[in-house]
Amino acid sequence: MRTLWLSPVLLVWEETLEIEYIESVLPPQKLSEFPHDDWVSSISCQIPGLFLTTSYDGILRIFNHSRQLISSTRLHTAPITSLSCYLPSSTPKTTTTDDNQTYTLATASHDLTCLLTRLTISQNAHLEDVDEDSAMDGSLEGGSSGGLATTTKSRVTPLAALHLHIAPLSSVASNDDGTKLITAAWDGLVGVWDTRVPEEHEVGDVRGNIRNRVGDGQRSRKRRKVVEEEEEEEEEEGEGEGVLVGVKGVKRKVPEVVMKSHTGRVSRAVFGSSISGGRGERGKAYSCGFDSTVRVWDVENGLCVHTITASEKPFTALALPTEVTALALSTDRTMMLYDLRVSTTSAVVPAAAFPHAALPSCNTTGTGGNQVITGAYDGIVRVWDLRSVKSALASFDAFGSMEKKGTRPVGKKVLGVDWNAERGVVGIGGEGGFVVWSFKEGFGAN
Amino acid sequence: MTPKHWEQQGSKRKASPDSQNEYEDEFRLTNLEILSEEDNQAASSDDRWIDELPDINSSFGDEKTDDEQSQIDSVEGASEDENENGSDQENTIFPSIKTVVSDITGQFKQVLPEIEPEYDSDSSIEDDPNCVGNIPLHWYDDLPHIGYNIDGKQILRAARGDELDRFLATVDDPLTWTSAFDKNAQMDKSLTAEELDIIRRLHENENPDANYDPYQPTVEWFTGKGKEEIMPLSGAPEPKRRWVPSSWEKQKVLRIVRAIRQGRILPSKPKTTTKFEFYSIWSEPASSVAAPLPAPKLKLPTHSESYNPPEEYLPTKQERKEWAKMDPEDREQDYLPQKYSSLRLVPAYDQFTKERFNRQLDLYLAPRVHRVKLNIDPNSLIPKLPSPSSLKPFPTYMALKVNQSIHHIRCISISPDGCWAISGDEDGFISLWEVNIGREIKQWKFGGKIGALDWCPRVDVSFFVVCIEGILFFIIPPNLPNSIFSSTYALLAPAASSPAPPTSSPVQWESTSPDSWSPNKPILTVKLPSSSGVPNQIAWHRRGDYLATVAREGTQSGVWIHQVTRRHSQAPFRKLKGTVQLVLFHPLKPHLFVATQQYVRLYNLSEQKLVKTFMPGIRWISSMDVHPSGDHLIVGGYDRKLCWFDLELSEKPYKILRYHTKAIRSLHFHPTYPLFASSSDDGSIQVFHSRVYSDLMTDPLIVPLKILRGHEIRDGLGVLQVRWNSRQPWLLSAGADGTISVWCS
Repeated sequence: MRTLWLSPVLLVWEETLEIEYIESVLPPQKLSEFPHDDWVSSISCQIPGLFLTTSYDGILRIFNHSRQLISSTRLHTAPITSLSCYLPSSTPKTTTTDDNQTYTLATASHDLTCLLTRLTISQNAHLEDVDEDSAMDGSLEGGSSGGLATTTKSRVTPLAALHLHIAPLSSVASNDDGTKLITAAWDGLVGVWDTRVPEEHEVGDVRGNIRNRVGDGQRSRKRRKVVEEEEEEEEEEGEGEGVLVGVKGVKRKVPEVVMKSHTGRVSRAVFGSSISGGRGERGKAYSCGFDSTVRVWDVENGLCVHTITASEKPFTALALPTEVTALALSTDRTMMLYDLRVSTTSAVVPAAAFPHAALPSCNTTGTGGNQVITGAYDGIVRVWDLRSVKSALASFDAFGSMEKKGTRPVGKKVLGVDWNAERGVVGIGGEGGFVVWSFKEGFGAN
Repeated sequence: MTPKHWEQQGSKRKASPDSQNEYEDEFRLTNLEILSEEDNQAASSDDRWIDELPDINSSFGDEKTDDEQSQIDSVEGASEDENENGSDQENTIFPSIKTVVSDITGQFKQVLPEIEPEYDSDSSIEDDPNCVGNIPLHWYDDLPHIGYNIDGKQILRAARGDELDRFLATVDDPLTWTSAFDKNAQMDKSLTAEELDIIRRLHENENPDANYDPYQPTVEWFTGKGKEEIMPLSGAPEPKRRWVPSSWEKQKVLRIVRAIRQGRILPSKPKTTTKFEFYSIWSEPASSVAAPLPAPKLKLPTHSESYNPPEEYLPTKQERKEWAKMDPEDREQDYLPQKYSSLRLVPAYDQFTKERFNRQLDLYLAPRVHRVKLNIDPNSLIPKLPSPSSLKPFPTYMALKVNQSIHHIRCISISPDGCWAISGDEDGFISLWEVNIGREIKQWKFGGKIGALDWCPRVDVSFFVVCIEGILFFIIPPNLPNSIFSSTYALLAPAASSPAPPTSSPVQWESTSPDSWSPNKPILTVKLPSSSGVPNQIAWHRRGDYLATVAREGTQSGVWIHQVTRRHSQAPFRKLKGTVQLVLFHPLKPHLFVATQQYVRLYNLSEQKLVKTFMPGIRWISSMDVHPSGDHLIVGGYDRKLCWFDLELSEKPYKILRYHTKAIRSLHFHPTYPLFASSSDDGSIQVFHSRVYSDLMTDPLIVPLKILRGHEIRDGLGVLQVRWNSRQPWLLSAGADGTISVWCS
């Protein structure tokens, strides 16, 4: 911006002011509502036309945009905490028709495993009556109810179970090309997996599980019997109880790399430049935990290359707005922006600290790298611009369940947000179910 | 005075040197006449003067002769003054009276001589020759006249010639060089012969007096007959007594000498032999005692002491009332400013009598009443505590609120890894939920009020114990890794049942058989003897093998110590005074704290004896916790008191905190952070910082940090139990309102 100044002595000079501003955007609007019986822990809006939700009752639900439940599949017996979906480039497409699209999902659960699931979606315009047999043993198949001109049919096939952790998993994420997965759990471990579905079980079977026996009606308790011995002995203690009762095609799988440096619960781990995690450096992984650290990992070697240690800030979520910054949410109601280039030896000074009104639970970034959406336990979703530290750009009550109780607002907790910035859709899951809001990313101009 | 007079004088002077000058005198007179013709009155006066002129002329000649005659007389009089005493009679002041025969009457008559003004007139007239009076003449310098005559007419200034005339005069008139202008006379006057003579004498250094005779004959004043001195000087010699010593003086001196010799008179006091010694006042070291202060100077009176002070000094009615209410010693000033419109309205000083009286008391050394006043700044009584912000982290806000039940939630417990919490309500429901999110994962239902529940502190196994009336249930949580699950299962339900202990124990241990067990059921059940009541407390030993249960309302002794590995229970106390409220294992030593209603006793379990009795002074102990170091104990009571004991120090509390307004329900030390919390029936939780130093000399530092409010009071009950998250400075609280809150830092 150029300004001409006219001084009293008639000297004219010029001054150039850099003005950074944020374009005003339309306020978020509630598009639709998908009531759930149980709390929604994680959502995904990345598949066009579909919404995927995972819930605390262990069920993966797939909705289309017309608010219809396409599929409802019980993947885990324990609550699912995290969901990641990606287009598997490595796996060849099983179907020949162009209508069919195949995705692979990864769901992390309290049952100490992460499950890889293939999701096949076929759009049949001519098929009007699709049987819905979601309870079928083996491959689970779901479909929308008939009566529509275009019917979306989806097939959910569990592929492999990832066995590493000895505590409930907190997050799972994939890299952008879908070749690797990263899981974080409460036991302080971060596992990196490839998405190849093994032909054989890589770890021993866990048939001696008491619950399996109880469920199967077997009355004798046996010690766990290792059928096959695989290469990584130390990984064996990481394997948990069996999942997905009676699923035949599920292979047990071990991680490529186990990254062990966190001293407390790891709440979030993402790959650099992945779909769900935002940007970041390729080949690096980022994790944050309750031990108040944000760590950067070299994925190839499984080494922690950088550690940001904050003081008494148990981090609950992590996002990577740009290649060199990490945005971590802390339970002391702050959102910290860290510059990852700063060397570890110097004192850790956050690039910015954003005061958050309630305990933040989850965040997601837009494509512009400046705007972030966070969800909190007070049921309010806030939109931040990372250049304005003072307050959120916008905030809205996600479930409309805000009630003033005493002095403290008690809303329904938001547990997961996913922002498809291209489509301008924000999916919000939490205590109140799953809602979709529209919010277009405003690009700040210089 | 008249012009005639001074003209006479002037003519006299001019006439005196020489008779030849008479012409000139005449000429001048005519000049004057001409001048005076300008005024009629002056002319008339001139006329009169002309009439008398011949007389004067005649007298002029007479006078001259008289002067000469007198001159001769004076010269000759010196020699014959004695002879002329008689002739002096004729020269008396008063003129002689002539007796003539009157032509008319033929009788004798006395005729007085005519008064000659030159001699008989008043001398003051002579001094002022000017006819205008004794007026400074420079007044008229600029005017055409020089004054006024006796008739008030102006006397014009005599005309004077110009420079040419003056020059001609010097040429013509030989007397000009001896003449000068006389202002008084307004004319040029030539010096007389006497004056010239005086000048000449002065010039020749002679006596200017012409009559002075330097060669006068000697006058013999004291010689000659009849002129000798008779009285003035005596030639008598001095009397003898003037130089002969006095005998009576001698006698007097002798008497004094005798008295001195006899010692009756001391001639002078014996002089002090020691001379006054000078010393340097500066060389001495300064005394330690401070020099007396000079009396303070009185303050100067201010405006407020004025009888008519400005308005802003006048007190308001409120201030006046306050001033009157204050004690006289506390008053900042001992008067109130008052306004009087004038000084005469000011009344007498009302404190006069009192001040006199006080002054009398002072003089009499009577002490006035001195009020002992303790001036203590209340801020100085507050102990110096670090600010809470420097003691972070501690829970500050409510992160989660979980509505669990409609009943009171009596008990809560957190798993050793800090991830899971269990809570039990009075209706028999137990829920397991995730601490960080607050999501309930599993629920169990038991028939009866949940008295207590606690998680086993062991890490390699994972289970918790729930107490209902008379029964202890051991429960395994779901979603355990296989190793932990198997070891837990092996611990609680060993395949080969251990040899049954001596069956004398009334406590029965029953494991659920693997066939009938499901995660919804307890895996181990311990049945306490009947009528033992609901155990209110479970206290785990640090190693997780022993646990103690306490039932307050039981008829029998309510304390049982259970050993999990041996599946054995025993009652440690055969007989106890009072009902046991709480027990606690010492974290490091084989000691057991037992709290009855009013005392806390410390037993050594291995030696089976009482170590110490603590007297907290609480009427009814409600809660107790021991510091992780094992050296400190906090005890809370229903009478709102919280006592901190230093076990090494004393049997009396080191500190008593009474911050709650209602009964204290629960206390808990944080396992790792220097924090403890207390909950109360007033619905609040108080968080304290408690730093314990390993140095035995330093007292523990207890700082109140935060009061957490958020629980509602229901049925007079507030927060029933608080527990810390072992990994984080987070606090969980179970309230009587059926909610559980998680407080995060």
